[in-house]
Amino acid sequence: MSSTATIERPSNVSEALARGRLGVPSVIFFVLSAAAPLTVVAGVVTTGYGVIGVLGIPLAFLAVAAVLALFSVGYVAMARRLANAGAFYAYVSRGLGRPAGVGAAWVALIAYNALQVGLYGAIGAAAEPVLDRLFGVTAAWWLVALVAWAIVAVLGLLRVDINGLVLAALLVAEIAVILVFDLGQLGNPAGGQVSFAALAPDNLLVPGVGAVLVLAILGFVGFESAVVFSEESKDPRRTVPLATYLSIAIIAVVYALSSWSMTVAVGPDRIAEQAGEQSVALIFNLAGEHLGDTVVTIGQVLFLTSVLAAMISFHNTTARYTFALGRERVLPAVFGRTSPRTGAPRAASVAQSVLGIGVILLYAVNGWDPVVQLFYWGGTSGGFGVLLLIAATSVAVIAYFARGGGDETLWRRAVAPGLAALALAGVVTLAVVNFADLLGVTPDHALRWGVPIAYVVAALIGVVWALVLRAGRPDTYARIGLGAESAATVLPGIPGTPERAEAAR
Amino acid sequence: MLIADEFFLIAHNDIRGKAKLHPTATGLGLAGGLLGELVLYGHLTVSAGLIAIVNRRPPADALAHTVLDQLVGESQHQSVRTWLAFLAQNATTSVGERLARAGVLRRQESRRLLRTSVSYVPLDPNTAAWPATRLRVLLERSEPPPTLADALLLGLVTAAGLSREVLWSAGPRAHHRLAALVAALPPPLKELVAHTEAAVGAAVLRGVP
Repeated sequence: MSSTATIERPSNVSEALARGRLGVPSVIFFVLSAAAPLTVVAGVVTTGYGVIGVLGIPLAFLAVAAVLALFSVGYVAMARRLANAGAFYAYVSRGLGRPAGVGAAWVALIAYNALQVGLYGAIGAAAEPVLDRLFGVTAAWWLVALVAWAIVAVLGLLRVDINGLVLAALLVAEIAVILVFDLGQLGNPAGGQVSFAALAPDNLLVPGVGAVLVLAILGFVGFESAVVFSEESKDPRRTVPLATYLSIAIIAVVYALSSWSMTVAVGPDRIAEQAGEQSVALIFNLAGEHLGDTVVTIGQVLFLTSVLAAMISFHNTTARYTFALGRERVLPAVFGRTSPRTGAPRAASVAQSVLGIGVILLYAVNGWDPVVQLFYWGGTSGGFGVLLLIAATSVAVIAYFARGGGDETLWRRAVAPGLAALALAGVVTLAVVNFADLLGVTPDHALRWGVPIAYVVAALIGVVWALVLRAGRPDTYARIGLGAESAATVLPGIPGTPERAEAAR
Repeated sequence: MLIADEFFLIAHNDIRGKAKLHPTATGLGLAGGLLGELVLYGHLTVSAGLIAIVNRRPPADALAHTVLDQLVGESQHQSVRTWLAFLAQNATTSVGERLARAGVLRRQESRRLLRTSVSYVPLDPNTAAWPATRLRVLLERSEPPPTLADALLLGLVTAAGLSREVLWSAGPRAHHRLAALVAALPPPLKELVAHTEAAVGAAVLRGVP
């Protein structure tokens, strides 16, 4: 019997649990691979130049990065104290009350679904040159989208998250290709002279600035996910904040550089017109002129894998979101169940796939444009939803710390979140004002008010639903915002999760 | 049969011993079972998310003894979630070995490529299938009344997402009875089940292992 172990010795439990904990680089890799840089640079930025027609995209990336870094100060501080820290609505629930939380959850569901489904619009354009070069065939975009859909649906059910090493390798290759392309573009400026026109601050003082800011937010979606690894990180107080700030910085530099170098190569006065004509092919055509075929082919293959990886990643993120809401019983409990064999959130994943195929078929039957009307509209509408969530979260952080959490510095609990909230409120206002510019439609188009109003309606329905739950199902109401932890946290007398308390020590 | 043993048998195929449940949930369910055994035999109690040791006398079972020794030896760790995570890492092996010692399973090593994988194959399919069958009968009939251990096992099976195994072809009455039995567990066991469910859900949400 060894029950009198009083000698100081290393803890087996701590050691066993510390094995495999993540450091800063692993967390950054995870965050960035979900961000799919080549999808943003080749797809979002080029379409953005074409549709919005404003030169301020590089500066918008830098401005948004500054705002998000400011926002993250309070965000990561609150994350340490929170169950279900990966989801914005959890912050809103805790900071602004459960009704607001359910409203945010509904907004999040729409936003993430729009982002995921939108990617099906890009896959056809991404696959076209690759299929042509490798097999000499051309396929309709929706055929490619359906194949991609099937892959995503099956992998989602098998819970195959692409191996971390594969993702990391793809990510490094993507960034390398982007930088090579950038150098090629900067080395061959239009008119023989490198133009800094796109970096002039007055590019952000034009009508349409709200649109480019939303576009930039879209590029950063995924930065919020580092906090998921609080418990798996080596030192939650250091690893997660550092990984968040570094991810924002890396994304900002890569995207700002790439979007600027495009204007240099094409010429600031012609970028909108050329991007509108060539769409997602723009940077590959530019590379073809300066760098030769091999690099272009590599870039095109990586663009395809990048879109596919982003699809899988967003599919799983969205399905997990639905799963968390099912666990809380805010959505039907069936969404909170998993497949026993694989642990995949089955119902949530299937629902996601059903929506995906519905949208693909809708666009195919109606002959709508997949790149602008599905990929770009889905992406920017989703990005706008994420912007609303970030803005609401920044207010929630202030409210949460106003009620307690005195061991955080004034900067972390009030000043930084306050400045971020002001800036984000400004961005939201500009975005709403410029929404027609963002989508590239006339001011009387149905989507110009349709998308913003859809989010407002979803949020209101969420609030009403929460009030219904409060009156009729108080147990469920108490679980709101807790995600998977809701199973344990509604028991009487359990203050949050002890794990977090221990980790935040 | 002990709770973790029955959980193990329910979570694996009764003929070849193939896993029916993904490894994370299996580990956590078994860890819940191991802690549950110690609660049932009066060695531990669980409250407010923490484990407290109430009786240090060695349990009769060797594995339960080992687990209790670990709990006593590292009393700076009290969180149920910490212990579930820790015990889950080796629970499949340790419970598999316990069933092998009891003559229910046979340890089988197979080499595939360069890796050796260990599985536990039932010696008698009837013995291996019995726990699931027994629970199903318990849920469908009112006699005999389920014991506390049965109710805990049902709770852990549900928490791990395996309730299909004890509910297939069962009517709405069995579903209702299952929910009622788990809800009526005494607070420490109910908490243990709830934390197991939360840990399984958290693992799903993390996604990347």
